[in-house]
Amino acid sequence: MATDTGRQRDASVLDKLDDNRFRQIGMLGTALFALVVAVFISYILLARVDYPLLINIIYPQFTFAFLRVIGIILISGVLAVVAGVIVGLARVSKTGLTRAIAKGYIEFFRGTPLLFQLFVIYLGVPQLWPPGQFPIQGFNYYAAVIGLTMNHAAYVGEALRGGIESIPKGQMEAARSLGMSYIQSMREVVLPQAWRNSLAAIGNDQVILVKDTSLLTVLAIPELLSAFRQVNSATFDAWTPIVLVAVAYLMITIPLGKLIRMLEARADPAAGGEH
Amino acid sequence: MDRRTYLKATGGAAAALSFAGCTGGSNETISIGSDIPYRPFEYETTDGELTGFDVDIAEAIFAGELDMEYEFQQTSFDTIIPSLNNGNFRIIMSAMTINDERDEQVDFSDPYFTAYQTIVVREGSDITSKEDMAGIRVGVQKGTTGAGAAQGLKEELGGDLKINEYDQIPDAFSALLNNQVDAVINDNTVSAEFVNGEGDGDVRFVEGEGAAAEEGENAPPYLTLTVENYGIAFRQDDDEFREEVNGALAAIREDGTYDEIYNEYFAG
Repeated sequence: MATDTGRQRDASVLDKLDDNRFRQIGMLGTALFALVVAVFISYILLARVDYPLLINIIYPQFTFAFLRVIGIILISGVLAVVAGVIVGLARVSKTGLTRAIAKGYIEFFRGTPLLFQLFVIYLGVPQLWPPGQFPIQGFNYYAAVIGLTMNHAAYVGEALRGGIESIPKGQMEAARSLGMSYIQSMREVVLPQAWRNSLAAIGNDQVILVKDTSLLTVLAIPELLSAFRQVNSATFDAWTPIVLVAVAYLMITIPLGKLIRMLEARADPAAGGEH
Repeated sequence: MDRRTYLKATGGAAAALSFAGCTGGSNETISIGSDIPYRPFEYETTDGELTGFDVDIAEAIFAGELDMEYEFQQTSFDTIIPSLNNGNFRIIMSAMTINDERDEQVDFSDPYFTAYQTIVVREGSDITSKEDMAGIRVGVQKGTTGAGAAQGLKEELGGDLKINEYDQIPDAFSALLNNQVDAVINDNTVSAEFVNGEGDGDVRFVEGEGAAAEEGENAPPYLTLTVENYGIAFRQDDDEFREEVNGALAAIREDGTYDEIYNEYFAG
């Protein structure tokens, strides 16, 4: 007994020591990392960025590119969530065919690169018409929105399926036994809870959608990376446009992350949310 | 003109050609940075063999005259100059136009090719002059002198021109066929490959005189926006080697090898 207690005490002292040292090493490591990053960023900002050039390219190139990206994100993001709900519902359908089609859709759009999907839409579809006959003008923007929407609908659908499947079957059964239809039970009982469970995954996907707009440079859409490449190939200056691109993307993704956490908090009943 | 920029990862296809029988030269294999494909200057046949005007000129200079081994390295055009200066390869042969901005970063060989910026439109188009270009959509390749010429034309037209910049020139030609742009501005020889090849019957050059005629150059019968010379690019500390290559270039022009290669790609 006595020995056992002694050993236990020894172990806990050791654990404590290790925890402390672990914390110290962690603090030292992160402090060093932060210092290196701070020195590096200061060096870039002080020695590498050409400020007259920076001012010069903010407007119009980067401003328009930024607004264009925001427009594409808003449209594709909303459409992807709407389409994703449909995909997710189809994915948990009781009808085998519907489920199989939704599965095939998800397999294709998650299983091939978005860049490839964009080429299929932008280069492949117009070739179904004779040369010069394709009727849609400015098809690169349509191709961008269609590609982003279809790709991210697959991810949203899969996230929502996870959310729906995490709701105990008894909930649906109870709702049905109260006389609610399948649609009512889904809408009133299952989906609100599933939505809360999927929100983090869907939010992550929206952040990825923001970054995926960088691929649109291959569709001749003057987005942020195109603006970067234009400035870089004209001036051979990399760091000035790099700084602008980084700031522009973070100006979108950081507030978007905040918004998602806010929605999550609101949806969490434990935190006094509505549901 | 030149070229381009490409996109992102180009699959890393480093088409390395090494030719046998070059035992006598220096031991270093000359590695040549090039943005492949840029037909007819550097491209792979369907069998995967690297060929093109630049490739044959390299063969004539390095294997033929200087008795050196060489290999081509695939790289993307918009980063090709920093890549050279970082030491990723020794020289650039990539249909590269000599211009002042690039000349500040690298040293060029004597010019080995003259190119003209020309305009390709669909067969049924009613564009016959620069003025007709007002308000239309033009396709170009990112980072090329064609993109620069389009920018110049846009200024001439008071901003009334929409420029779509593609990663590779075939994308710009696809956009022309797909009715996404109304014209493509690019080097005459590269455009001619398309006009006489895949685009035969669907597209044509805009004819007329232009910058070339103004400079008294022996130009093709197309409306030319600018006249440009291609050069081989060297790092700025590589003068001795550059002189050797200039000598070899003069020698192959002298003995008819250059004309032979030229006619193989650009005859008619």
